[in-house]
Amino acid sequence: MAIKILNILIVLFVPFLMLGIIKKTKAFWGGRYGASIFQPLYDFIKLMKKDFVISKTTSGVFRITPVIVIASVLFAALFVPLASSSAIINIEAGFIVFAYILSFSKFFSLISAMDTGSSFEGMGASREACFTTIVEPAFFMLLASVMALSGNYTFDSLGKIIENAGGYGILICIFAVLVLFIMILIEGSRVPVDDPATHLELTMIHEVMILDNSASDLALISWANGIKMLLLSSLIAAIVIPQGLTTGLSAVAYLVLMFLISVIIGTIESATARIRMSHVFEFVFVMSSFALIVLSLVAARMFGG
Amino acid sequence: MNNFFIGILIFILSGFIASIFKKNNKINILSILCLAGSLFSLTPALNVLFTNEKLMTQCNFNPIFGTITFALDPLSAFFVVVICTMSLMGVIYSKGYLKPYLDKVKNINSHLIFLPLLIASMLLVVSCQNAFAFLIFWEIMSLSSFFLVIFESDKKEVLKAGIKYLVFMHISVIFIIIAFALCAINSGSYDFDIFSQILKENQHLANLIFIFAFIGFGTKAGFVPFHNWLPDAHPAAPSHISAIMSGVMIKTGIYGILRVISFYAMPSKALAFAVLAISLVSALYGVLYAITQHDLKRLLAYHSIENIGIIGIGTGIGMLGLAYGQNQIALIGFAGAILHVLNHSIFKELLFLSAGSVYIKTHTRDIEILGGLIKQMPHTAILFLTGSVAICGLPPFNGFISEFLIYFSMLKGLAIKDFFVLIALLFSIAGLALVGTMAVLCFTKAFSIIFLGIPRSKNAQTVTTDSEKSMLLPMGFLAILTLLIGVFPQYILDIVLKPASTVANMTIIPSTSCAGLMQTISLCTFGFIAFVIVLLAIKLKFSGKIEMHETWGCGYDRGNNRMQYSASSYASPFLSMLRPLFKKIFDIEKPRQLFPKSAHFSLHIDDIEEAYVINPLVKFDEWFLSKFETIQSGNIQSYIKYGLIFLVLIIIGSLFIG
Repeated sequence: MAIKILNILIVLFVPFLMLGIIKKTKAFWGGRYGASIFQPLYDFIKLMKKDFVISKTTSGVFRITPVIVIASVLFAALFVPLASSSAIINIEAGFIVFAYILSFSKFFSLISAMDTGSSFEGMGASREACFTTIVEPAFFMLLASVMALSGNYTFDSLGKIIENAGGYGILICIFAVLVLFIMILIEGSRVPVDDPATHLELTMIHEVMILDNSASDLALISWANGIKMLLLSSLIAAIVIPQGLTTGLSAVAYLVLMFLISVIIGTIESATARIRMSHVFEFVFVMSSFALIVLSLVAARMFGG
Repeated sequence: MNNFFIGILIFILSGFIASIFKKNNKINILSILCLAGSLFSLTPALNVLFTNEKLMTQCNFNPIFGTITFALDPLSAFFVVVICTMSLMGVIYSKGYLKPYLDKVKNINSHLIFLPLLIASMLLVVSCQNAFAFLIFWEIMSLSSFFLVIFESDKKEVLKAGIKYLVFMHISVIFIIIAFALCAINSGSYDFDIFSQILKENQHLANLIFIFAFIGFGTKAGFVPFHNWLPDAHPAAPSHISAIMSGVMIKTGIYGILRVISFYAMPSKALAFAVLAISLVSALYGVLYAITQHDLKRLLAYHSIENIGIIGIGTGIGMLGLAYGQNQIALIGFAGAILHVLNHSIFKELLFLSAGSVYIKTHTRDIEILGGLIKQMPHTAILFLTGSVAICGLPPFNGFISEFLIYFSMLKGLAIKDFFVLIALLFSIAGLALVGTMAVLCFTKAFSIIFLGIPRSKNAQTVTTDSEKSMLLPMGFLAILTLLIGVFPQYILDIVLKPASTVANMTIIPSTSCAGLMQTISLCTFGFIAFVIVLLAIKLKFSGKIEMHETWGCGYDRGNNRMQYSASSYASPFLSMLRPLFKKIFDIEKPRQLFPKSAHFSLHIDDIEEAYVINPLVKFDEWFLSKFETIQSGNIQSYIKYGLIFLVLIIIGSLFIG
């Protein structure tokens, strides 16, 4: 029980800290002092209290979307292993439910962006929809391959790569982590795919989709985006953190890993510029090719000599 | 079983009875009669599905046809349920849809006669157990649907589409005839039971027959590369007809394929892989072209190809399971496919009907000139949204359940320790995920361009009211069905396992690990919906003041409706990735001189198969047949001469052969 409460607390609060740490890291590399790592939380609270400014063009779709987005992301969190070893709802093929609930939220955020009738938001939506079509198959391929390896169709199979894959274990782990990490960058709309700090609407993807959202709507959407990053990072944690640690130790390891991932994302954002829009696809396809590598490694392990 | 025939009889007669009445009453009478017919036919079918007992009747048609067996086993009964409920919704809807046509169109009576005839023939097709009668009913089905498609036969493109449909259907029936004829030659009977006995013994013959049957039935169902009639016929037909055709009639093709599989003891591995590959290609091809389309009904027609592909993937997994002796996998695969038949018929019908409502109000199918309809047509918009979310396979709606079952069977299939199975299944899983996300792209495009933003033209601006109640009612019923199946999948799984076990030739239904999963999913979706509702209530209660303002336009507030994102620009980043897969036809007039007078741009994307296979074939055909034009001279003497030559040839021939 305690574990479950800990999990829920992690889902609710760690996303803010991750966003804060990313910003702090960027400030550090930029030679600035930077805001407190709790700043995203403060922003959230402040936004929740504000009044709405809403476009005349919009309809009910625009109003309900933030709620649907946050509800689906929180719900998806139930299917993912967090600090404890397995998910709260740990069912076979749970990853399909997880991915499809996230798709549901994406469906609504896309039509909500289109609801404003703004060409900028339409542009963001069309790019986001396009990237998803490449990301999701790679994600499915990765997880299905790993599951084929262990014959276990829950997320638990992620932790069993090393024990099942023998000599291929390390390689499969490395590529699986890379796939998931690139997925974090894309889904969390981070550099080099998207720049959350840019001020030019033409170059944005996720941020431009929520240009017209204000007050608690904006707060919920940003929070949901943070939670999505956390959930994907948790899948990395499920691969990397060794099985059989005590609960306390694995929770600590989990938090440390979240910290590390945030620092790495922050460092990448400081070290590289975002890719030109026409070349983003190439970056996204890197993820698919890594997923293919995992697939071939799994096939090699299962049927190779 | 008698009730079933009474139902069919009511269907056949209802059109004639309805046509006696005066204009406004016609369709009321037809709806009531069809309701009665559906109820009569549904009762035995539901009975079979719940009790799992086969009903059978033999009718004696001596001396021409001999004894013909009609039977309702779970597979037939399931299709009867789909046909009855879905067609009935279409008929009820037609009252509102046909109203503007009642005065204008002369052939309204023939429309009203062929509509129930189509339903009756579909019911006969799925219940008949005799190849000869099957072909007759099949042909009645194709012909009556042809007459329904050419409802607006004064339009040239409608007639063209109708004739294309007719040609495709007759090519398809040739293959079905070959398949059945091969069976009949080897067994000496037209009875399906005897076919089944023969094919279980002779594996090679069974494989050959399956190939012919798959091409024949696959053309009806719309598998790529035999899909080309679909995107033409659906837009040409009135909306309730496209709904019935896409929702129900093309499923008779699936029924045929499943029926032929049930003849088998064990499908060969190669065939299972082939079905899987063709289905995967169909699914991807369908959704890809759906993204390129701006004609709403063409878009939906391509989505039918996609969904037929998904059904085919389930079938392929089922065959793979049978071929490798894994009954569990086979059962879940077939169950997923059969459930998707039902699901697709529900949400596709819902979407076609809402498309019809939009068409009746705006008089256009081109989504590029629509927009902002959610304000005037809120009910239609919500119904279309429900259908869109369901067709993308997203929870908490029904599409998710069948796709989940198909995914689940594929995951279970990974346990078959075979290299090719592993690779095929992993790629199918990724492929199905790709299809799902592409569907999301397509339907976010369709929904938001039609219903959201501000109106893009006069057609959309002039809409003032939502559609009539008689049109909204069947759509609402379908929308509730999508949600019910999505929330209570465990009950529907119990039902679809029965037809699935018929296909897989299992007499007892083994328990599957799916049942428990479906319970959990049901609870989860229930919790999810409750969670969303609670959060929405909180939001409504505590939301702060709202100030209305213009959409943010980077400080520019003189935006007009032409500056919104359009459907083609929404799809453009994705399509530009896959450039070689289309034939793009640009029509551009660039602005010239200092003060340009006119300029326009339009983009049309052609089906690659139509452009590179069908059209050249038709051209060749025209060229080849024109060589024989001289034979048709027009004077009667030469025709008598041909007859004479023909007779002489026959006499000589019979001398040699006899």
